[in-house]
Amino acid sequence: MLHIRNLSASYGPIQVLKNCSLHVDQGEIVSIIGANGAGKTTMLLSISGLMGSISGQIRFFDRSIKGLSPDKVVGLGIAHCPEGRQLFSPLTVYENLMLGAYARKDSDTIPQDMERIFKLFPRLKERIHQTAGTLSGGEQQMLAIGRALMARPRLLLLDEPSLGLAPRLVDTIIKTIVELNQEGMTILLVEQNARKALEISHRAYILETGRIILQGRASDLAEDSEIKRAYLGKDYKDLSER
Amino acid sequence: MASDRVEYLSPEAWSQWHTELLQSAVNRAYNRVPFYRKRLEDVGIGPDDISSVEDISKLPFTTMEDISGNYPYGLFSVPLRDIVRIHTLRSGQPNPIALGYTKQDLKRRTELTARFFRSAGVKEEDIVQICLDPGMSLHGQDLKEGAEFLGALVIPPDPVSVLSRIRVMMDFKTTVLVTTPSYGLHILDTFKEKNMPIAALNLRLMVLLGETLTDDVRETFERELDVETRAAYGIFEASGPTMAYECERKNGLHLALDHVIAEVIDPVTGKVLPPGETGELVITTVTARANPLLRFRTGDITILDKSVCSCGRTTWRMSPVTGRSDNVVCVRGVKISPNHIKDLIAQATGGRNLPFVIVLGKMRHLTQVEILVAMDASFFSGSLPELHNWIRKTEDLFLESLGIRCRIRPVEYRSISSFLERGDVIVDGDMVK
Repeated sequence: MLHIRNLSASYGPIQVLKNCSLHVDQGEIVSIIGANGAGKTTMLLSISGLMGSISGQIRFFDRSIKGLSPDKVVGLGIAHCPEGRQLFSPLTVYENLMLGAYARKDSDTIPQDMERIFKLFPRLKERIHQTAGTLSGGEQQMLAIGRALMARPRLLLLDEPSLGLAPRLVDTIIKTIVELNQEGMTILLVEQNARKALEISHRAYILETGRIILQGRASDLAEDSEIKRAYLGKDYKDLSER
Repeated sequence: MASDRVEYLSPEAWSQWHTELLQSAVNRAYNRVPFYRKRLEDVGIGPDDISSVEDISKLPFTTMEDISGNYPYGLFSVPLRDIVRIHTLRSGQPNPIALGYTKQDLKRRTELTARFFRSAGVKEEDIVQICLDPGMSLHGQDLKEGAEFLGALVIPPDPVSVLSRIRVMMDFKTTVLVTTPSYGLHILDTFKEKNMPIAALNLRLMVLLGETLTDDVRETFERELDVETRAAYGIFEASGPTMAYECERKNGLHLALDHVIAEVIDPVTGKVLPPGETGELVITTVTARANPLLRFRTGDITILDKSVCSCGRTTWRMSPVTGRSDNVVCVRGVKISPNHIKDLIAQATGGRNLPFVIVLGKMRHLTQVEILVAMDASFFSGSLPELHNWIRKTEDLFLESLGIRCRIRPVEYRSISSFLERGDVIVDGDMVK
């Protein structure tokens, strides 16, 4: 579905992604794991057309999408749910969701999709006329995912969906991601909570200072000593839970 | 991705996946193994120079000398605390070689061996008996674990006589026999000589490895024992005994391309040869965590076939190994190099460099190794009891070191001088008589 070859990206003189190749097959949840500053978010921004300076190939269903504007990328079926949610605070839940459908041409199925999102996140329906700025962190994250889904994507890019959420809400969001995937949604997930991400992913890539140093089945990576130490806080957990 | 499904990927998917795997393997080796970093820097290559799987040919080769030269930990790419098993092997070099495995490495080897057994139709109900020489114990262990993973009953290799093994085979109704072609023939001959009833055997499959399985030997097994046969190929240094294996069509050995990238090169020039041409097999491990190998020269001569097999698998196939690119000989799966023998003779003679030839003879299908060592006055005191004692000790040393029994025969220099003058260190048994 998505094939990336030799992707490099930089912010001015600083190269953030170095010669990265990865792929996502239809129906998969694929995670990108890495420390802060490793280049995870940049990877998603590059796919969505939000990074100016990139080289390499990005293909989506055999079509090159490198250099396309973000609205064209959305039009092809890739929706990006950004880190920090990036909602329009003064607008209501309904209005934010409608903005997600901005690029769509099939407006008659929009109400149907909105109902689907309310089924997924009943809390959003309860707060449909409330402004986004008044929602809790968890509700804002639900809204951000809902807004991305309103674009009817074939591939959903999720950037740190559990960031800053209470553990119970993290579980809700994670459960929703699994549900979405079970309904057929393909997901590329960037997540600081590596343990949770590996639990629900089929495969994962480990990014270290802009380079992919390891990839494989998520279940295998979750058992890998090096990964445990670097990203799963195993040593800390062993001490704290003793 | 399910381990078995991977064998049917499209060529485009292989290209993408191999590029990803190669890039991350080079990234890891470059960042974590100073030896590889230096090797790459010496030829002016960095991780950014690998933009497709074809770029593998830019990487320098790794040889047995490199592995041995970096003994004990020099080639490990993970900290020692992540390594859960180490095997050390004699290498024919001054140092032994050390092979390390993380928990994941062992799991992958077991899964791969299990995948081979599954593809050969081995099931939980099977009784798998492994008959291999101690020199192949590393392979024996992987095979045992792979078969156990499937839930089969496994009889691992024990150092017992052929008759004891046959008895076990009959008493426990072995259904799958794993052995070398020559040992398989030895079993078959013993059976006939002792007038044992072949019909009393429950064998249905023979897995043959360690040596090349020729068509006539395969045909002999299939006809006389009424069994299915499957050949497998592996090297100790990478991915275990089933790095390549036959499918039901038996037209070449399918390489485990999810773990290794294979090339065939001209052994003299080092140039990569196109599929269909005969040359030396070079292996790059792309999933090994503890001991990554970039372009390891196996020394085995083969041909690569990248076309899709009639079984539907898209994994490349290699032909059975037809020889070596160096002067290493393979005796019942155990590799013996003149350097290694020289080293052992020096060890047995207090550092003397006595001339020798390696004689390979056949006895009941099994290759027998005899080492003719030229005595000189500085070593041989004239005492025959002392000499006999030395022979016994040296034969023990060879068995311990090589894992197969070799006969040591002291000779006068002139009886082997004609071979040595021609540069023949390894000679056929018939030529010595």
